[in-house]
Amino acid sequence: MDWSVGEDSRRYTVALNDSDGALRLSSVQHDGMELDSPEISITRDDHHGRLRVEIAGTPRLAYVAKVGDAWWIHLDGRIHIVRAHEPGSARTEPSEGSLSAPMPGTILEVHVKEGQRVRKGQTLVVLEAMKMEHRIQAPKAGEVTNLHFSEGDRVDMGEILVQIGD
Amino acid sequence: MTSGPFDNAPRPFGTVLVANRGEIAVRVLQAAREAGLRGIAVYSDADAGSLHVEVADDAVHLPGATLAETYLNPEALISAAGGCGAEAIHPGYGFLSERADFAIAVEDAGLIWIGPPSGAISTMGDKISARIRMLESGVPVIPGAELSVPDGADHLGALAACAARVGYPLLLKASAGGGGKGMRAVHEPKMLRTEYEAASREASAAFGDGTIYVERLLSGARHVEVQILADSHGNCIHLNERDCSLQRRHQKVIEESPSPAVDHQLRQAMGDTAVTAAKAVDYIGAGTVEFMLSPKGDFYFLEMNTRLQVEHPVTEMTTGIDLVQKQFEVAAGLQLGIVQSDVCMSGHAIEARIYAEDASKGFLPVVGRLALWKPPHGPGIRVDSGVRQGDVVTIDFDPMLAKLVVHASTRRAALRRLDAALADLVALGVTTNIGFLRNAAAHHAFASGSVTTEFLDSAPISEFAEPGADPAVLVAIASAAQRLGMERAPSDDASGSVDEHTGHSGDPFRTLSRSFP
Repeated sequence: MDWSVGEDSRRYTVALNDSDGALRLSSVQHDGMELDSPEISITRDDHHGRLRVEIAGTPRLAYVAKVGDAWWIHLDGRIHIVRAHEPGSARTEPSEGSLSAPMPGTILEVHVKEGQRVRKGQTLVVLEAMKMEHRIQAPKAGEVTNLHFSEGDRVDMGEILVQIGD
Repeated sequence: MTSGPFDNAPRPFGTVLVANRGEIAVRVLQAAREAGLRGIAVYSDADAGSLHVEVADDAVHLPGATLAETYLNPEALISAAGGCGAEAIHPGYGFLSERADFAIAVEDAGLIWIGPPSGAISTMGDKISARIRMLESGVPVIPGAELSVPDGADHLGALAACAARVGYPLLLKASAGGGGKGMRAVHEPKMLRTEYEAASREASAAFGDGTIYVERLLSGARHVEVQILADSHGNCIHLNERDCSLQRRHQKVIEESPSPAVDHQLRQAMGDTAVTAAKAVDYIGAGTVEFMLSPKGDFYFLEMNTRLQVEHPVTEMTTGIDLVQKQFEVAAGLQLGIVQSDVCMSGHAIEARIYAEDASKGFLPVVGRLALWKPPHGPGIRVDSGVRQGDVVTIDFDPMLAKLVVHASTRRAALRRLDAALADLVALGVTTNIGFLRNAAAHHAFASGSVTTEFLDSAPISEFAEPGADPAVLVAIASAAQRLGMERAPSDDASGSVDEHTGHSGDPFRTLSRSFP
């Protein structure tokens, strides 16, 4: 299994050793390179969703929960998301210039047509969601190559609304 | 009916229907139980398994798929009350809480309305009429013109003339508005039309009334509001102020009491003015008079919220007065039982609103299932929550999951307690603003008590960015969690005494712990 942290597309591989019920980190690699890492030992805890994590001799508690392919981790008062990937699977780099719906909602206004030149920051589409209007603005100057929705359409989170080419 | 707490009151009732959902419904239903009242919840299909239904003595289903058919449906709510023997309706906040026609309909149906008189709601609810009434009563209002631009009239001509008179930058506000909806700042004339249209549309969608008015945008101001309580016997007192200057796009993020910008003298002046404002509309019940406080220490009436406020807990924590209990007592026709000199102010309380939103992506609301939800607990920590572990956060309702409120002897101690409690709040499966709240509260501008209402909107988001963690540690934990099969369902959890919903384990202060939508 390969792993990535948060929005970062870097992939890591992890090797753990089982000794006396504790999982000890033996190596973390990124692109075949061994990473420096502290001594880490992880054991189950009686509480649901909780692990005992000893990092460089300091004991901590981490809460974990799996949602889809991602592990959500609460450690030291901060929440992190670590995603699992099939080894060698393609990295999904979001294509620059694709604007997706930030949340489910309804297309209220479409300000551009396919083929139109737009400047950076220009409002392309207005999306209504959670009773508020959100302006989808061009992240860069360019040409509208694809426009996937029209006014009144319902969109789901993550759907590509507009694509902008150079 | 069995004997109730208000049997001998002028307007007795023993059963209250809570016409709301989420944390405020939970809060009011728990208060009802505490008071010895029977509490009835209402719920739409989407809320059939929600926490507020669980904590109620009984619950009535509201058929229909939309808000207009359910929580915003006066007829359905009143008939629900009739069907279950409720004698009073508590509207919570939002939804129908500030609809005068609903208050009238409730009373016409022979029920007790746990809220202010309909006349006070309608005068204060229309921001234009409220401004005029305040001016008449000698309450200072924000400089500007009370020009109303009626929906459907020649907006742009009238608007441009009014905008020119008020001057830029200005604020367009929905006359029927609140909560930042239908409110837009305009910094230059060329943006007037676009912003007006957006504001009017938002106002129409949110309040069914697209009327907009123009007000000068005060810069460098703080948002300070005063809690008031009035009974039907002519008694009206204030319960000190709350400072809600930490806002994002006019939505409050962190609230506190007392305000770091208000001294004893100013507190008295603002409190007296708030009482004057409330008396000007013959107010009864719990209400909040909102002011803008200028850097020079001048304050101006902003609006009055004729209902319980989201941030009411900070006042409860510092005064020891339970506002919902007082609402019940006042609705039953009892006297307040306290006078102004009885109101004390002990220590410092801060509330942080926990939202399902992604601060790194422009604070967009997010959806998902709360796979793990463990609220913090300990002395001086109160969590008012409308969700529990396993609940699904949808876009159907407000993205506020809970309110974390802390109380300590000083502001510095309260800030430390807030940070520790936010760090202890485990919310996995749905992205929340918890990390952002920690960073915002720790920001030197907030910590020093010097933020204005513009602070969050003008500070670069990078100032609140999450600190990175060692990726080796995180991937090791994820990999170990996978190996150990940590994804299994929590059904075989060795659940101890900790209540999964409230996070309280036999806490003696449990009565002060509640939760939101």
